Amino acid sequence: MMADTGSDEVAVIGNIDLTPGEIENNMKNTQKSEKGPVLFRKMEINVAEAEKRTVKNAVNMQEIYTVYLIETRPADAASEGTNSTPDSLWRRYSEFEILRNFLLVTYPFVVVPPLPEKRAEFVWHKLTADNMDPDFVERRRVGLENFLLRVASHPTLSTDNIFFSFLTEENGWKEMVFETGFQAKADSRLKALNATFRVKNPDKRFAEMKHYGDELQSVISQLLRVRARVADRLYGVYKVHGNYGRVFSEWSAIEKEMGDGLQSAGHHMDAYAASVDDILEEEEHYADQLKEYLFYTEALRAVCRKHELIQYELEMAAQDLTTKKQQQEELATGTVRTFSLKGMTSKLFGQETPEQREAKMKVLEGQIQEGEDSLKEQNTECDVFVKSAWSDIERFKDQKNHDLKEALISYAIMQISMCKKGIQVWTNAKECFNKM
Amino acid sequence: MSASTPKTLCTSGQQSIQDICHPLSAEESVRTPSPDVGNTTGSIGEKDLSLPNGTPVDTSSPASSSSLLNRLQLDDDLDGETRDLFVTVDDPKKHVSTMETYITYRVSTKTTRVEFDLPEYSVRRRYQDFDWLRIKLEDTQPTHLIPPLPEKFVMKGVVDRFSEEFVETRRKALDKFLKRVADHPVLSFNEHFNVFLSAKDLNAYKKQGLALLTKMGESVKYVTGGYKLRGRPLEFAAMGDYLDVFTQKLGTIDRIAQRIIKEQSEYLVELREYGPVYSSWAGFEGPLQEPLEGVAGCVANCAGALDELTEDMSDDFLPVLREYVLYIESMKTVLKKRDNVQAEYEAKLEAVAFRKEERTAPPTDVEKCQDRVECFNADLKADWDRWQNNKRQDFRQLLTGMADRNIQYYEKCLSAWESIIPLLQDRPENTKTETS
Repeated sequence: MMADTGSDEVAVIGNIDLTPGEIENNMKNTQKSEKGPVLFRKMEINVAEAEKRTVKNAVNMQEIYTVYLIETRPADAASEGTNSTPDSLWRRYSEFEILRNFLLVTYPFVVVPPLPEKRAEFVWHKLTADNMDPDFVERRRVGLENFLLRVASHPTLSTDNIFFSFLTEENGWKEMVFETGFQAKADSRLKALNATFRVKNPDKRFAEMKHYGDELQSVISQLLRVRARVADRLYGVYKVHGNYGRVFSEWSAIEKEMGDGLQSAGHHMDAYAASVDDILEEEEHYADQLKEYLFYTEALRAVCRKHELIQYELEMAAQDLTTKKQQQEELATGTVRTFSLKGMTSKLFGQETPEQREAKMKVLEGQIQEGEDSLKEQNTECDVFVKSAWSDIERFKDQKNHDLKEALISYAIMQISMCKKGIQVWTNAKECFNKM
Repeated sequence: MSASTPKTLCTSGQQSIQDICHPLSAEESVRTPSPDVGNTTGSIGEKDLSLPNGTPVDTSSPASSSSLLNRLQLDDDLDGETRDLFVTVDDPKKHVSTMETYITYRVSTKTTRVEFDLPEYSVRRRYQDFDWLRIKLEDTQPTHLIPPLPEKFVMKGVVDRFSEEFVETRRKALDKFLKRVADHPVLSFNEHFNVFLSAKDLNAYKKQGLALLTKMGESVKYVTGGYKLRGRPLEFAAMGDYLDVFTQKLGTIDRIAQRIIKEQSEYLVELREYGPVYSSWAGFEGPLQEPLEGVAGCVANCAGALDELTEDMSDDFLPVLREYVLYIESMKTVLKKRDNVQAEYEAKLEAVAFRKEERTAPPTDVEKCQDRVECFNADLKADWDRWQNNKRQDFRQLLTGMADRNIQYYEKCLSAWESIIPLLQDRPENTKTETS
């Protein structure tokens, strides 16, 4: 249904009403327009619904899973007022994971947006850790939408074809993405991430960034843990007040003049106790915002590690080249500085012939040339990586500062609202007590 | 009403036993010369009215219903300006001697009553003295409900008898006790009460009183055994039922209040851990440092406000509840006494009926009993109504106080969070602020 976007990775909304000529025009226009969040500007993305599906798994047992409805619509359609129905398809969480892994592998210099958590963590006791719980599913729906919007607004990621197809092609997407062969790269990437190696000249900026990422991860984890306990306790405080409701009601039954006041005050106590559920549900949103950045730290760390790896490989390549050059020098001057078995055996068992030496030199020269070319390439790659990675890190830093500040502001606003509600309830109760 | 408690209790310090002035004679204001103790003892001897069982009775409390009704009417006018007796308990001071350490309170009286020699008094009393007064009132006014005193014994290891909070709580309760007595149309004219308020040396008077009692020879306690109640009048049965349910409800409220305090304390513990996490986060952030510190400060403020709320509830709310439980116990005791008096009357009446000798005029013995019953019933009814009225006022005050404290708590938190909103939003690049 969607137009082929070609190799330029420019995302265009393929409207079936458009003629091929128009589609081509659109593409040209988009190519002319500045680089940027092309997809985000052109497309409205929604994760509208969640549904349960059942399927028979490998051992012929019923498995329940949740699918999410992704709706897309040309952004200008909304502004034009044409009420076009959005295109939509269903995806499950595991498919989102595949998409993200693809992006991680394909764009190692990008701090790739994280997915919402697979399993509920940092829960306070009233929240279930059950993945089937409707509240959890709802929060996940919001998180998945957020993920898609973040990718769609990323200058690099938004232009990716696989991402575009994820949003638009329900069938065959999986095959498409696996055909790219990213899976193999994913495995080696993971290995590299966890490998230990030492870089001789680490880039200070990246090292600091990695350290920052670690600290941020640690502090947000701690914050989420304590916040969950705070929520737990707050719940307890509010709920116990509900007992006042019942006892006031019972007490009012034996009172004459005091009865009415007590009874109504009791109702306010019940309302007070009940109000904590909404309060904590809202606060969960704050926790989700923190969690997103907790998971972001992993992506940040990955980029820094990737840089370390590139740097390390570069250093190894340079080291290798130096070694080969030394060997060349030794061959030329006849001095042995580096130990080699061949050199030893030739010493022991006689010198080699000039022809043999000549051959060796030629091979080495070839290798050195290769090495120099490859080193040059790697250097360039490294430079490119550093540039793009650092630019994305800067973008990420700005985004983080902005987002976290917004999160703090909305948290403060939540607290203000909670205080106001508290004042209201107790003022009402006080009025009732006064009437006693 | 009450003077502010000094932060640290002044003590008379460690002194040798000879040097210690009697605290009850120390620090008297010049304007209140001590009335002669002899005067007060003398007036006891003038009494000729006594209860049927021989215990001396306050002269100004005639045991007839009509004058009691008069007093009741007077009572309505006694609210506010027409009151002629004002009593206050304040200024706790610690007295340290080699024998013991104890607290005395200043009892100040202002009155226009002729029963008092002077218009103003200021004496120092310790708990023992209040206890003595209460016992005297119970003995001399058995048909009346005597207000309760705060608990006499406190577990030495558990409660600090000299802590500011404990002393203040006790002072408030003692103040209430005296005010309740002073407001009572019958009890306030009690001779012992008069002496308690005015005598310089109460101990001397106490000794006299003791001697007098033994002279009288009569037991202070009412007859408890031997008579079975035939039929309790409906209204007194209703009182008993009411008291039973009321006690239950008060117990429940006490438990709920304690539970809330516990939950709030645990909430406070978590809050005290929560705020500092934001601080440590601020430590390694750049542009987010101020907002994070702001949030940390806010949480700390809220924690402080919560601490105050919990302390207030502990110090002010719970003791008053418990005092009412004691009050109810007193009331129940009085009801039992009334039952006994009625039972005695019924038994005597029955005995007479069996004798069948003189039907013309019932023997004076039975007449006296009948008088006693009627007298008791009238006193009790009057006291019951008064008690109900006071209870209503007391609980209105107690509960609105609780509401007020909660309102204040939320207002403090509200102002804390509102004050950091401008701080959080204070960034030129942040032109749009999204509210959640």
